[in-house]
Amino acid sequence: MATVSLRGVNKSFGRHKVIKDISLDVEEGEFVVLIGPSGCGKSTLLRMIAGLETITTGELLIDGKRMNDVPPRERGISMVFQSYALYPHMTSEKNMSFSLRIAGVSEKERTQKVQHAADILGLSSYLERLPRQLSGGQRQRVAMGRAIVREPSVFLFDEPLSNLDAKLRVKMRAELKELHQKLKTTTIYVTHDQVEAMTLADRIVVLRDGVIEQMGAPLDLYDAPANAFVGTFLGSPSMNLFDGEIRQGEPDAVYLPDGQHFTLSQRSEHRGQVQVGIRPENLKLVAQPDPNTITAEVVVVEPTGSITEIVLRKGERDFTITSSERLNLRAGETVSLVADANAIKVFKPDDRILLNESA
Amino acid sequence: MNARLQSAGLLRHAVLVTFAAIVLFPFLWIVMAAFKTQIDLLMGRVFFQPNLTGFVDVIFDKTSDFGRNFMNSMIVGVGSTVLVLVVATLAAFSLYRLQWPGWVLHSLLGWSVIFHMVPPITLAGAWYTMMRSVGLDNTYTGLILAHATLNLPMALWMMGVFIRDVPKELVEAAQIDGANVPNILWNVVLPIVRPGIAATSILTFVFSWNEFPVALVLTQRQTATVPLGIGKYAQENTIAFTEMAAASTLSIVPALILLVFAQKLIVRGLVSGAVK
Ligand SMILES: Nc1ncnc2c1ncn2[C@@H]1O[C@H](COP(=O)(O)OP(=O)(O)O)[C@@H](O)[C@H]1O
Ligand SMILES: [Mg+2]
Repeated sequence: MATVSLRGVNKSFGRHKVIKDISLDVEEGEFVVLIGPSGCGKSTLLRMIAGLETITTGELLIDGKRMNDVPPRERGISMVFQSYALYPHMTSEKNMSFSLRIAGVSEKERTQKVQHAADILGLSSYLERLPRQLSGGQRQRVAMGRAIVREPSVFLFDEPLSNLDAKLRVKMRAELKELHQKLKTTTIYVTHDQVEAMTLADRIVVLRDGVIEQMGAPLDLYDAPANAFVGTFLGSPSMNLFDGEIRQGEPDAVYLPDGQHFTLSQRSEHRGQVQVGIRPENLKLVAQPDPNTITAEVVVVEPTGSITEIVLRKGERDFTITSSERLNLRAGETVSLVADANAIKVFKPDDRILLNESA
Repeated sequence: MNARLQSAGLLRHAVLVTFAAIVLFPFLWIVMAAFKTQIDLLMGRVFFQPNLTGFVDVIFDKTSDFGRNFMNSMIVGVGSTVLVLVVATLAAFSLYRLQWPGWVLHSLLGWSVIFHMVPPITLAGAWYTMMRSVGLDNTYTGLILAHATLNLPMALWMMGVFIRDVPKELVEAAQIDGANVPNILWNVVLPIVRPGIAATSILTFVFSWNEFPVALVLTQRQTATVPLGIGKYAQENTIAFTEMAAASTLSIVPALILLVFAQKLIVRGLVSGAVK
């Protein structure tokens, strides 16, 4: 177990700046998830920690020691690749024990360590198979086994579940979480899947274009996003955004283009154009329209069993609400909605900085 | 629809068969010639009584050097192939998997292509002078070095292709697992590119086996290779056609044997399951 610290880290490929001045402290035993859209620099950042990419400027410390110029094998890290990167000519057992053989560990100890990892991962009966004779999930486990046997002080994962089908992904996600609870090894995990991030992380770091947009505990980010990007990135279905305006003399309402408004729970200092962010579960259908409700047209109703998702249209904009009731709605019907005033976010439209955090 | 597909299939097969015939015909013609008598051959007889005098002359006649030629070709072929493969594999690994600046890669590969396009005969004279001055003319070493030089660009390109096919992540995974560069090459890259090494070796060997002009300049009777031996059946006054054909037929044998072995080695899909 170890701490990992990034101090003002930058990375450029030629003139292309990919990572911009990132600072981050990962605590001992913490499970940190780096999340962001494709191409935002997640893998690059992880590979810099692994030692597979050089650090253009800034410092990387593992357990307080500067690691910028230390080769990957001496950093005490293990990495699981998105593609697994299993050695195709070696059996599962050989794949897992490769690092130990290189390190000159005795055969007895090797067998014992591989067996231990295989037990944890349920791989004991596949040890003699080649990677091509394994299913996707088994390959994934071998890749994790290979990372475990080295007993690293930091685990690095780069989208390890993205090659699995949906069902297996959920299963492996749970296994990963259990594994972390068992081993308590400091973990940095890269994904673009917000559900993985929410479920696995002690702390989520949201990246965009090589910059940290926000970091914090999953539910803190969910409840108090620093900007519309973070707000819409976390949560599924994602947060609805409406363009609106705060008028002179009415600091506690946001007017939509059609004259209807959302009421805020507190007054705003800002006047003019804003974006209102409301999560699907914070918009409720009401039977009777009144001055505090908005109206919208039903587009589609998608019952998923436990909840029902309803896509609605207001003006040009589609948005989604969820309801735990089984609703009898027809497409084209006009409905009235009320928003939970305490859960409304207001963002400035251009720089996306949160203006009014009412949660 | 179905009929159209079928006729397309027929057409494709017809093209393939024609092509195969064009490639195989000279080969068959030589093999048949090897079993004819000189008379049958010169009369252009299609039907003939097979006979082995050509082979007997080539293999057992006291004046025939063919056995020695065969030995020499083996030594030079194996020697130059081993040398080429060691250098090409190390170079390709270094160029494609260690972090070289782009211009190093491109200038080396570019230069090797240009070199590959120079006709060997233009180098032969200079090489003869150089080899003589260091006492390597008429030696195996001299010809091995020459053939290695000629075949290195091709081998470098081929090994480059095979090594580039080894996913980068495998090298990175090995780095993280604690492997140093020799470890990575020996334990990860080489086992995966084995089929590529086999294919490159066979081509390199066959090129050396076939090479004529440089061998002609750099060797004398004791070190002459098979193509020179075959060429010698064409004398100033007579051409010993059947012996020539018999020698040619025999010279094909090693390549055939290699290809049979290679079939087993060049198994596709060894890499499958590594990534994804
Ligand atoms: N070796 C490289 N050379 C040049 N550009 C690169 C290299 N690796 C990544 N990039 C660029 O860096 C950016 C971030 O890439 P990456 O870290 O892989 O993103 P992510 O993992 O978040 O999808 C992308 O624009 C990508 O094109
Ligand atoms: Mg990535």
